[in-house]
Amino acid sequence: MFRFQQIYLFSFIYFLYAGVICLTVTTIALAAPDHIEKSVFRITNYQQSPDWKSPWKMKPTSRGQGSGFLIHGGWILTNAHVVSDSRMLLVNKISSPKPFLADVAAIAHDSDLALLKVRDPEFYQDLRPLEFGGIPELRSRVRAYGYPMGGHELSRTEGVVSRIEFGTYVHPGIDSHLLVQTDSAINPGNSGGPVTQSGQVIGVAFQSNLRLNDVGYFIPVPLINRFLADIKDGHYAGVPEIGVETSSLVNKYYRQYLRLPENTGGILVERIVPQSSADGIIFTGDVLTKIENLQIDAAGMVRYGEQQVTFYIEAENRQIGDSLTLQVWRKGKFQNLTLILKAPPFGAEMRNSYDKIPEYLIFGGLVFIALNRNYIHSPGNVTPPLAYEHWYREVERPHTRREQTVIIARVLPTPVNSGYANLHNFVVDSLNGKPVRSLAHLDKMLKKMPPEMRQVVFASEWQNMPLVLDYKKSVEQQKSVLERYGILANHNTSPKKNKDLQ
Amino acid sequence: MRKKHLLFSFMGCSLFGTIFLFTCALQAKSPEIKPWFHQAVLLKTYQQSYDWRIPWEKRDIRTQTGMAIVVRLPQSSKSKVSESVDSQTLYLLTTAEMVADATLIEATRKGIRKPFQAKLVVMDYAANLALLQIEKAKFWGNLSPVEWAPVKSRTNSDANNIYTLKIKSQDEWDMESGIIDRMAVGHREVSDAWFPLLKLRGVSQSGQGYPLLQDNETVGMILEAGGGEAKAMQAEMLLEFLRHASNEPYRSLAHRGFIWQRLPQGSTADYFQIPSGKPGIWVSRVLPYGTGSDVLIHGDYLTKIGKWTLSHDGKVKHPEWGLSLFDLLFLDQLKVGDSVVLEVIRAGKPIVLKTKVSAYEEDGRTVPLKRVGHSPRYVIQGGFLFQELTLNYLRMWGANWRTRAPMRLRLFLEQNKTVMIDGKNKTSDSYSATKDSTELPPRIVLVTQVIPDPLNIGYQELSNAIVLQVNGRYINRLKDVPDAFLYPQDDFHRIDFLPGAERLSVVLPVAELEKSNRRIKNNFRIPKLQAL
Repeated sequence: MFRFQQIYLFSFIYFLYAGVICLTVTTIALAAPDHIEKSVFRITNYQQSPDWKSPWKMKPTSRGQGSGFLIHGGWILTNAHVVSDSRMLLVNKISSPKPFLADVAAIAHDSDLALLKVRDPEFYQDLRPLEFGGIPELRSRVRAYGYPMGGHELSRTEGVVSRIEFGTYVHPGIDSHLLVQTDSAINPGNSGGPVTQSGQVIGVAFQSNLRLNDVGYFIPVPLINRFLADIKDGHYAGVPEIGVETSSLVNKYYRQYLRLPENTGGILVERIVPQSSADGIIFTGDVLTKIENLQIDAAGMVRYGEQQVTFYIEAENRQIGDSLTLQVWRKGKFQNLTLILKAPPFGAEMRNSYDKIPEYLIFGGLVFIALNRNYIHSPGNVTPPLAYEHWYREVERPHTRREQTVIIARVLPTPVNSGYANLHNFVVDSLNGKPVRSLAHLDKMLKKMPPEMRQVVFASEWQNMPLVLDYKKSVEQQKSVLERYGILANHNTSPKKNKDLQ
Repeated sequence: MRKKHLLFSFMGCSLFGTIFLFTCALQAKSPEIKPWFHQAVLLKTYQQSYDWRIPWEKRDIRTQTGMAIVVRLPQSSKSKVSESVDSQTLYLLTTAEMVADATLIEATRKGIRKPFQAKLVVMDYAANLALLQIEKAKFWGNLSPVEWAPVKSRTNSDANNIYTLKIKSQDEWDMESGIIDRMAVGHREVSDAWFPLLKLRGVSQSGQGYPLLQDNETVGMILEAGGGEAKAMQAEMLLEFLRHASNEPYRSLAHRGFIWQRLPQGSTADYFQIPSGKPGIWVSRVLPYGTGSDVLIHGDYLTKIGKWTLSHDGKVKHPEWGLSLFDLLFLDQLKVGDSVVLEVIRAGKPIVLKTKVSAYEEDGRTVPLKRVGHSPRYVIQGGFLFQELTLNYLRMWGANWRTRAPMRLRLFLEQNKTVMIDGKNKTSDSYSATKDSTELPPRIVLVTQVIPDPLNIGYQELSNAIVLQVNGRYINRLKDVPDAFLYPQDDFHRIDFLPGAERLSVVLPVAELEKSNRRIKNNFRIPKLQAL
């Protein structure tokens, strides 16, 4: 029902490049049109991600490999996870040792897609872009191209389409979109490679399932087309969400209780996500019966080609700002509604973060950060206060969530903070009695502190005792703390993208 | 060469001599085993705890062996004497863990093959102590109660060594020696009661309920042992338990009535208007029970308990054990019912508070800690199994329950202060603050599972869902559930859950409910649909 629960449900799915080993690999060397092979590339990403526990530091550089393919406009389409946190990208053509430098032109972490542009025009000689097809039929044969395990030669594997459904995309960690399941071998390095049928691209290979044998997934064409349309204005806005949490109405007595007409179908709205597309338009207790004239059944599914998929598909295929029509059963009557689609609220900290330098602030040796998914998933950080603030606050107490949840992640021991050296994960609710809304807000509050102020008092509803520091000494020792711990700047409160640092 | 040989011979003799003398010294002080044939007995218990996932079922039977010490209850004139105990008769003292959820307790004396069936008289699970009775007079022939003596610290004792029994077989009893490691204040995972405990080393054969001897005197009882280490409760606290055991109602041992923190640094003291350098501890939470709970408030800075001045880290100078946590005062200096003066700094002003030493109580938490001896309570309606959230239930996730049990449920156990349920915080904090003993802390009521039935098709994936309301009535404890089912709305019962559950509401038709309940009772062989 909830996105974060889906994450647990699907936590068995791993990134391809994170070490998936398929147990049975059947590589079938089938004759394929030359131009397809030529247009599938090996991508090498020299990446560097931040250390979320010491947010001013970067982790050692690592090398990852994936695949990509040429589409119209001279773009190379690949997965976002293949090119995330990139410091340098190299693209190799089939059987060619010559690497070409490339840049990320657009990236959609929510749908795990990215576009690259190779700097050298010579790269594009003798290449033909691949054409897109549609959604494959169930049990039809598909072929996956790529460079599994980073090998130099192109691999082609074949399989059948076994399922088309909504599922969690592991790269963002929280988003669910349409995906296609196949038994074609999809291994680490296949990521970003095309999956074809009758010479046309029907998807981008992107993840596998360690718990199941011979199960790989690819991103279907509708989501790819949505991504390509989204970036036409030069900016990626994201996949919109309706913003409702629903429960099935399979139980006939619940349908009687709601006095739903016979054979109506429909799914019960049980929570509206604050500030979402549905906020103020759909209400708790409504029954969604139609979406864009598609009948929603009692399990929340609609007919989509030859499949039944969740009704969210109608939002997912649209852009932010588009309208969506719905029919609801409300207080014993059918009503037609129109809503304007928005991006999901609080997406930034709920999703895995890439291509960003963490925000932080250091004052008196206290390291303040904004709580996000990357931090909470660092070892030892799933503590009750952080779990509550990150996952449960908004659902239990709507509208109480702050712009950011500021926490003291750790303490850099220095004389002014003596006695607090072992403190960590202290949720900051207020500074000297005033609520702290975000890291930037805290920074501003500290800067505006009158010089005669004796103490700074950080209070938390999770802690019985507030954290108190001598203000004057904290300011005096600021420079020496940074020098002692080799930190260049005491804050980064406006998130910079990796490329800003290049 | 010859000199070297002589040197080695000398060193060898010296080493041998030292070992010999040390061994002799130990053996010389080894207490006599014979008296113990009349003061301790062997225990064998058959225990069967409840399966908290299927609360009408019990788990597999397990057996434990240990000992029990023969005791007589001290005379008590102050309180009402319990009818179940008698200060003239003899009893057996052992650990609560030995007899918790026991289906059969058998005591065996040396030389008598036939075991005697024992009956539990009083159990203090928090303190891990239990008192047993055996009705057959034959069992008690030639048995005599132990005489308790206070344990002595290393500094005051000629030797560090202590002794306990080593049972090779029913008839082969021996002594083994060990040493006192330290006097500590500790608690078990299943309880939040902090009591002074003696930590021992070198006792590899000991077990639960074994007597602890020092200088030929009985100074305590082993509570748990393993890996060459053991924890024992001292005679002073055992005597306190025995004194309380004869009172009605039973009270546990003396305990502090607050949770405290040390002040991290001078600026914190300055903020709380505490004079610079003044030693003491900061009261971070007042418990609903225990010493000082009636007079202290959150934020008090406690500087003195009686005549004992507290250090910055909560230590006092104990006359026997030196610098120790102040909880050690409850060992021998402060007894339940004693008057005590607490000196605190409140809002910058020193004040003196008068109170009485009071005991630990169990019932102060939103999520009760481990309970034994009670069958789990539950209600089944339309296949929905309602239970209260307890530590027993969380422990059903196995040894690693702290990481494996659902986070949403663990939140209530570990830090439940921000969960809004009925418009006010459903926390033990808020209830302890009211100081109203008649208002019990609320419980978290869950639908732990849905027992499949045609009535609940579509709901069967629901599990561990926290119940907010039934038929529009807030549910604050399990007994509210059957009450709320008396008030259906428009031919349906409606159950609402806290967000985070698989679904937030379900309805059950009133007309079909009784039929469904009967079906479920028969299909799943459930003895009764409700156990409150």
